[in-house]
Amino acid sequence: MIKSVLIFNNHGKPRLIKFYQQIDIATQQALVQEIYSLVSKRPDTVCNFLEGSKLLGGKDTRVIYRHYATLYFVFVVDESESELGILDLIQVFVESLDRCFENVCELDLIFHFDEVHHILSEIVQGGMVLETNMNEIVAAINEMNKAKKKSGSTTTGSLSVRASETLRAGFRH
Amino acid sequence: MSAMRGLTVFIADIRNCRVRELEEKRINKEMANIRSKFKETNLNGYQKKKYVCKLLYMYILGWEIDFGHLEAVNLISSTKYSEKQIGYLAVTLLFHENSDLVRLVVNSTKKDLDDMNEINNCLALHAIANIGGREMAESLAPDVHRLLISPTSKSFVKKKAALTLLRLFRKHPDVMPVTDWAERIISLMEDYDLGVALSVTTLVLALAQSHPLEYAGCYEKAVHRLKRILIDRDYSLDYIYYKVPTPWLQVKCLRLLQYYPPPEDPKLRSDISELLQIIMGNSQDAPKNVQHSNAQNAVLFEAINLAIHLDSNSTICAQAAQLLGRFISSKETNVRYLGLETMAHLAACVDSLEPIKRHQETIMMSLRDKDISVRRRGLDLLYSMCDMTNAKVVVSELLRYLQVADYAMREEMVLKIAILAEKFATAYSWYVDIILQLISTAGEQVGEEVWFRVVQIVTNNEELQEYAAKTVLNYLGSPQYNETMVKVGGYILGEFGHLIANYPGCSPIEQFQAVHAKFNLCSLNTRALLLTTYVKFVNLFPEIKGQVLTVFNQYRYVLDSELQQRACEYLAVSTMQTDDMLQTVCEEMPPFPERESTLLLKLNQKIGDTEDKRVWFIGGKEANLERQEGLKRMASMRMNSTDSTTNNAQPSPTQQKQQPTSNPAPSQPSQTAMDLLAFDDLTISSNNNNNANVPPSPAAAVAAPIQELTKSPNEVQLPQGYELGYNQSLYTSEGVLYENAQLQVSVKSEYHGSHGRLAIYITNKSMMPLDPIRFNAPSTDKLSIQMTGDVPKKINPAEQGCLLLQVECHDMFNEIPSLLMEFNGGNDYLHLKLPVVLTKFQEPITTMDGASFFKRWNQIGGAPRENQVIITAQVPIQLETVRTLLQGFKFGLLIGVDPNPNNFVGAGVIDMGKAGGKVGVLLRLEPNLEQNMYRLTVRTPSESVSEQLRVLLERPLTFGA
Repeated sequence: MIKSVLIFNNHGKPRLIKFYQQIDIATQQALVQEIYSLVSKRPDTVCNFLEGSKLLGGKDTRVIYRHYATLYFVFVVDESESELGILDLIQVFVESLDRCFENVCELDLIFHFDEVHHILSEIVQGGMVLETNMNEIVAAINEMNKAKKKSGSTTTGSLSVRASETLRAGFRH
Repeated sequence: MSAMRGLTVFIADIRNCRVRELEEKRINKEMANIRSKFKETNLNGYQKKKYVCKLLYMYILGWEIDFGHLEAVNLISSTKYSEKQIGYLAVTLLFHENSDLVRLVVNSTKKDLDDMNEINNCLALHAIANIGGREMAESLAPDVHRLLISPTSKSFVKKKAALTLLRLFRKHPDVMPVTDWAERIISLMEDYDLGVALSVTTLVLALAQSHPLEYAGCYEKAVHRLKRILIDRDYSLDYIYYKVPTPWLQVKCLRLLQYYPPPEDPKLRSDISELLQIIMGNSQDAPKNVQHSNAQNAVLFEAINLAIHLDSNSTICAQAAQLLGRFISSKETNVRYLGLETMAHLAACVDSLEPIKRHQETIMMSLRDKDISVRRRGLDLLYSMCDMTNAKVVVSELLRYLQVADYAMREEMVLKIAILAEKFATAYSWYVDIILQLISTAGEQVGEEVWFRVVQIVTNNEELQEYAAKTVLNYLGSPQYNETMVKVGGYILGEFGHLIANYPGCSPIEQFQAVHAKFNLCSLNTRALLLTTYVKFVNLFPEIKGQVLTVFNQYRYVLDSELQQRACEYLAVSTMQTDDMLQTVCEEMPPFPERESTLLLKLNQKIGDTEDKRVWFIGGKEANLERQEGLKRMASMRMNSTDSTTNNAQPSPTQQKQQPTSNPAPSQPSQTAMDLLAFDDLTISSNNNNNANVPPSPAAAVAAPIQELTKSPNEVQLPQGYELGYNQSLYTSEGVLYENAQLQVSVKSEYHGSHGRLAIYITNKSMMPLDPIRFNAPSTDKLSIQMTGDVPKKINPAEQGCLLLQVECHDMFNEIPSLLMEFNGGNDYLHLKLPVVLTKFQEPITTMDGASFFKRWNQIGGAPRENQVIITAQVPIQLETVRTLLQGFKFGLLIGVDPNPNNFVGAGVIDMGKAGGKVGVLLRLEPNLEQNMYRLTVRTPSESVSEQLRVLLERPLTFGA
């Protein structure tokens, strides 16, 4: 199963923290730092898999990550998940974000962190892969947004905060 | 939410804080603000949502959020979707599954599950899957199941329901009747919607691991689904991911098939090999880009794993081996990594390692890969593919690599090298060379268990001793200091130094000087060990007695009490008039009992539990044997049971837990350590033993003649109702043993190993003194009983007398000892049974993990060494009471070993003294709460012990504690 999904930037600043196990906040943050220190030292040419986060399950835990522009997308999984499958799932996650935010960048993740959680919840639920079809994921998000509008929230729809550099520009893998 | 201006401003503010202190200030200000806002009663939904969002942002930044939970709960029941959504998000991020607040959420969640609007169903399902506490599971699982199987549920609800159910099942398998649901759930694997199919297959994957027989139908369904994807090309185009149709579902199906034994049905077999061929064929396509090759390889690697599982010697596997050979030298690191990993799987199962050994050079190169992840896989593979023929090359390569290996990998490497050296040693000298070289290279990374093992092996193999002594002396001669080497050296020379004393450079004095040169650099523990070596030298080489005595003399005044004591005692022993004592004390160590290498235990310990079971283990073929055996058994059960699946609801322990195993005779991890450390205290402990064995202590010896009561207890009947106190005292260490109108007898006891002490308190409740009072507690040759201390001679009214007894177990016994009291000069007798039974000499073991337990369990095997009984309880079963009872009988209860949390699994060691020895005890108690029955299973290496334990436990389980 997937134990955790993390997004942090090149400086280790967390942008999304999602755990599918009960872990107290101090440990969560320690974990982000642990994984950041493991991952950030690795050049982009080495493999996307790491073994054994000490804090989250030890040797049987695999850290699977991808680096896009300023952000690291990290999935911590147990050994029953296919490594490449998870790698693909990260790609699906990022492409879904990209579709929902129209050229996603780090700032989108900061100011719309709730959105990011909702999108993730359409892909992974309770540590299990829920959906991998991008059209389905985006449709579900649109459905949510429609419901939000109907319920009277005045979403402006202008996801106005934008930085020049998008994640897509930095796809490296 | 971009509409929430306050939130955007807050986030921007935080981002402008360049230092942590400023951020903290801003956060504290905001927290104070939100707290005061939450105190106002007239907050509208929008405001609540905004503040909860701010809290969530702070949470992501790592600030502890300890309020706002109630507001989140409020938002959930809002009619506005946007507010509900944020409410659920907050609940899933901030709530703990055991929090009392979860109770507040259950009702609104149930309402949303029943809601007509599917989008609300989804929110509720997602929240349950994330929180998943017991309370939720108990009250909501049926609703979730309903949403899953209802024909009116939309696909996007179904798939969420499937995963929610899975989550609840993983956490609380006991709250839902998953076996009753099997048929409906399996049929959903056929769903046309691939999203539903994926979720349901994931669910079935987990259920099939726990209930393989009930869910056996999923096997065909998985094959069928793969056929539809790969042969019929029947899938929605949406699910093509970079040219590969739904790789995730393919992977899940391929993995599901690995949890079952290969099928008997030839049609099914040929179908599967056709599918595997197609996947292999597809992999020949040159991938268009990275995503394409990822997806393609994800399926391919899982297919290879399945092929290995089905028949590791098939032609498909031969093809796979070739493919893997290409992969491990691929330019792409991910592919190299997975290639090595899958090859390690192949090596772990295949009969002939030849196809893999062809790539030995490449694999060794991978130890020098620039990526540590790849290096680790390379190490695993080399370890798995090692056999008699290549052991020398592999081990020496590993040794060479050890010198430059990453710090993080060294400890594991040391273990692996030590194991391989032991396993594949063809010449004794090679083993000694390798292991000493290992110790000399790795220094501090060598765990204690490595050198313990060396000492064991050298002690047990006479041919090794001379060579080992010589080599180790050589190492000690080098100027380099290495404490582990000094320990090994000290021990081996102390035991076997005399074997080489005639060689040049190995004379006694040279041996002594080599060791003593390092003495001052060593830790206190090591020095203590070396003092023992020296006293052995005195015995072996009287000619250097003078030099050694100087050292003892010097250390008589050292501050450390352990060293001082040793020095004093050794000096005393060495300077006795005759050498008899010295010779006895320094007698050569007897061979160690054969037992499993603790190294393997240590290595295997590291493989802990994960949510799904492993389908294979790193290591050679034998490491995976047990799992395969388990699957074979399952296959035969499947055949026998054909359609009646209900009878086999209880799979054997091996199926429930497939764990690595290899060598015979497991032991507690600590035992070797004890054996080896025992020599440290040789003289001291032998003195103690002598004391304990000296029959009556002087006081008792003098007092005994007067007090002696010769009448045998058997001549006096047991009083009515004695059982009550006696039975209770069997599983308590203190309590009332017997009470009548005249007196009360209570007992306090403590046990240590095969020794125990009982204090019997006799309270005189009558108006008359008990005068005189005499006792008799006869010993048997299996259990000795001695009265010690002052034996009470009279007890005045309202006073208490205390009789101290020392018991020692010498062998397995089933006869309960008696205590006879005589009052008032033979006018009155009281005969009681002493609560001294086998389990009193038991020490609980609680550190054993599931792997060691089941391995041991299986090694002992079934009857006659197993003793099993079905008990119909006469009182309602209460798990808490049973737990206390078992612990009272001094079983260590192992948590998490049995997948059914209601079952008890226990372990202990009974010390039956000199003749009986130590006997490991394993216990499994499966209560059936509906029928109020138990199944009790005891396994020990001794038939009679198993039986006796069963007898002891049967009564209290039947009639309650």
